[in-house]
Amino acid sequence: MSIIKPDIIAEKGRQDAKRHRQKQREAIKKNLPEIIADESIITSKKGKIIKIPIKAIDIPHFKPKSGKDTFGVGQGDGKPGDIIGKEKGQGTSSGKAGNAPGEEYIETEVEIEELIELMLEDLGLPNLEEKEQKQLIVDFGWRIKGRSKAGIWSLLDARATAKEGIRRFWFFLRALKQETDLPELTCFSALKKAKGIMEDALKFLHNPSFEPEEKEIEPFPILENDDLRFRKIEENIRYQSQAVIIAMMDVSGSMGALKKYLARSMLFWLTNFLRKIYEKVEIRFIIHHATAKNVDEESFFKTGESGGTYCYTAYELAGSLIETEYLASAWNVYVWHFSDGDDFDPKRTVKEMRNIFAKNISMVGYGEIKAEDGFYREKAAKDSDLLEHIKNTFEVEEIKGGIRMMVGKSVPLLSVIIEKKEHLLLALQEFLNKRRWSNE
Amino acid sequence: MNKSEIRRLEIIEKRVRELAEEFGLLTTDILFEIVPSQRMLEGMAYGFPANFSHWSFGRDYEKMRTIYDHSGAGIPYEVVWNFDIPRAFVVETNPFALNALIVAHVYGHVDFFLASRYCQHGRSFSDIAEEARNAAQRFREYEAKYGKEKVEKTIDAGISIRWQEHPDLFFEENLDNDAAREHLIMREREKLKRARDFYSEFKKLETKEEIENIQNYLRHSAELTPPEPIHDLLGYVVRYSAALHSWQRDILSVIRNQSRALSPNARTKMLNEGWATYWHVRIMRKLFEEGFLTKEEHGVFNSFHSGVTRDHKLGFNWYRLGPMLYEYVEERWNKGQFGKEYDECENPIEKVYWDKKAGKGTEKIFSLRSLYNDRMAVEEFFTDEFIWRNKLFIFKREINEQTGDISYVIVERSPETIRQMLKKQFASPLGTQQIVITNSDYHRRGELCLKHHYYGIEFDGLYRDGTLQNLYFLWGKRVFLETVVDKNSVEFEFNGKQIKISK
Repeated sequence: MSIIKPDIIAEKGRQDAKRHRQKQREAIKKNLPEIIADESIITSKKGKIIKIPIKAIDIPHFKPKSGKDTFGVGQGDGKPGDIIGKEKGQGTSSGKAGNAPGEEYIETEVEIEELIELMLEDLGLPNLEEKEQKQLIVDFGWRIKGRSKAGIWSLLDARATAKEGIRRFWFFLRALKQETDLPELTCFSALKKAKGIMEDALKFLHNPSFEPEEKEIEPFPILENDDLRFRKIEENIRYQSQAVIIAMMDVSGSMGALKKYLARSMLFWLTNFLRKIYEKVEIRFIIHHATAKNVDEESFFKTGESGGTYCYTAYELAGSLIETEYLASAWNVYVWHFSDGDDFDPKRTVKEMRNIFAKNISMVGYGEIKAEDGFYREKAAKDSDLLEHIKNTFEVEEIKGGIRMMVGKSVPLLSVIIEKKEHLLLALQEFLNKRRWSNE
Repeated sequence: MNKSEIRRLEIIEKRVRELAEEFGLLTTDILFEIVPSQRMLEGMAYGFPANFSHWSFGRDYEKMRTIYDHSGAGIPYEVVWNFDIPRAFVVETNPFALNALIVAHVYGHVDFFLASRYCQHGRSFSDIAEEARNAAQRFREYEAKYGKEKVEKTIDAGISIRWQEHPDLFFEENLDNDAAREHLIMREREKLKRARDFYSEFKKLETKEEIENIQNYLRHSAELTPPEPIHDLLGYVVRYSAALHSWQRDILSVIRNQSRALSPNARTKMLNEGWATYWHVRIMRKLFEEGFLTKEEHGVFNSFHSGVTRDHKLGFNWYRLGPMLYEYVEERWNKGQFGKEYDECENPIEKVYWDKKAGKGTEKIFSLRSLYNDRMAVEEFFTDEFIWRNKLFIFKREINEQTGDISYVIVERSPETIRQMLKKQFASPLGTQQIVITNSDYHRRGELCLKHHYYGIEFDGLYRDGTLQNLYFLWGKRVFLETVVDKNSVEFEFNGKQIKISK
């Protein structure tokens, strides 16, 4: 009947596709525990782009279960058993986002920063913008800042006062000239003779017999009360935004690979969150078994020792590190200790812990990692000695949700028991609890 | 496509219509729109030339668009809608010869729309395009009034169950519970009467039993809501849910109507595409003979036509097997290879050379396109001979668990197995399983109970649970589903918070 070429209308599909992508983002958010436990993310650096395989979101419907193998009808030559096609696999990728309906994985690229942003959003945390950053006041004594017209004599600023006096001299001189219409030098002589007192100077000038005595104008300061300048002083404080994480880990024999892996994940996220909160974040690593030592990051995660475990050694070392390099007056200090709870001398450990609290640090975090290495099962029923001691020494509030946690009532203590990957997010959630970050 | 090309295509279109009518095809006015690829892809993704907004349409659009932008592939040459005035999109960048082919092809489809009893059924929603366009406007207003999220959630839930319908397209389910009950009681009473009249003098044991059964059923059905199981989940929910606002009923009704208008097409895809392809070959041949198209254009046509109709090793090519089926049936009926005598003949050589010059081919294929759906066509015409001739096989897609590599292997060439598999596929072309509402006053608390007719296929768990949640959103009360998991009968429940296995 007719063939028409209609005007082009807006590309509706693209607008609606946006909403789909937004939904994918939401799906990422929902599956953060799985994603954040993914190894490739833990080792990545700031600004790195992470590829998350995510399903295209689908609308659920009553759909037949698809088996491992699927069948189809094709056409052509060949006999049963012949291979008629091949596709390269995507590999067995772990950490796939999403247990919501959906087929076909699409790789979505997300910057690690954005992922943290998503986490913050998901956890309902305050949006940590620059102005809300946690700042620390550092006292450098007193310092001079500006001048004022009143003060104590000892703080009189002679130089500044003299400057004001000279200004007044010139002002008076000009005023005399205008008033009397006499030459400048005559006026100066009168002002000088009158020692700077205007009224007297005028009297001299009104006297017709007044003879100027001066040969040239030599300005001198004329001071009235208003010209006095005093130095102003104030407390010298600076706002600093820096933090240190002192990461401590038990590397004794009982800490298996999975436990270390969980510790590493937790640390990675702690560090990244703190980076959002502070301008500068330093990390120091301490490992311990029977003795403790400072190490670099690599050794921190790689070292495995056999032998006994004395946790207090780590706290001791952390204490001296704080004292020498990270005074709490200049640093927000976060001490995080990861262990499986094995401690030969928990009494001494809590004593050292107490010492650390005394240094006015921001937090001691204790992460007890009880992943199922086989070791965990036999001990699961009962809290570790160290945990018992912490509970008995400090006043704590126990939180029971998906995860067991203890929060110090009078000391900034947070202890969490991490048994599986999914616990990481819950622990972080508590760590980032709004209360903790609201301005005290 | 410039103005003079459009004029040329108009001339061709006129001749195509004449030729189609000479061939005996039904025709009507068709609106052809020359559109950019973007519109074509949107038409595909949204199901209609203009439709309401939804992220799932956007998702499909973006996917197709990405494939198209990167490879130039994945775009159909045409799309045609079975509207009152059928409407077709033609991509403007197609070569001219291809667009001529498309016009011919579309005339094949339009005949099918007009003649197939399945597509005729879809045509009863002939104002569906207008409705879709108006819906877009109304839904936007709902968004402004009730919030984007609520509207989206309602559409999500509607789409979730949009294809659940009675397996017999022509069966009109009575969604009015009272009327249905009345009708049912009447029907059963009638049966009762007959049973009594017929057998009263014999007073057989079976008769007694049957009477008792009917009486039981009558008593029982009076209490049941709905009185008879309902397949049309969306229709029933729209009518009886107490949780929906009128604007939500509107949204859901639009989705239901669109689905009902579109689903007949899915049941006749092979026959419809086959028919259009069968005819575009014949119409184009005439056009070349009559000089409407040049020699070069003939070459272009040949390459597109053979591209579309080639063998697919890894999939069912409608455009090849469809026309092959018509040609096969045509040949057999022309030679008289049908009927009792032929069927009972046991000499294979005699059968091959069987030719009674019956000349019934044309008549037969026209009735095939009018009366059959794909499943029926497979059952009747996918003979061993046809399957062998076309070298059909079943392949298996295997995933290597270590590497994730996928390989495709031929596993079966037995005609019977292939036939069974195709029949099964074509019986539920939209991949739906039969589900009925058995009780909408479950536990006498107005809860919804569904039953899955299990024929060996279980549900995907995640999808099943998600669907139950959507049903809960629509119904507003607990939703139950009787189904089978790991070959055990179970009843799932969604109570608004979690999915439970309640039995």
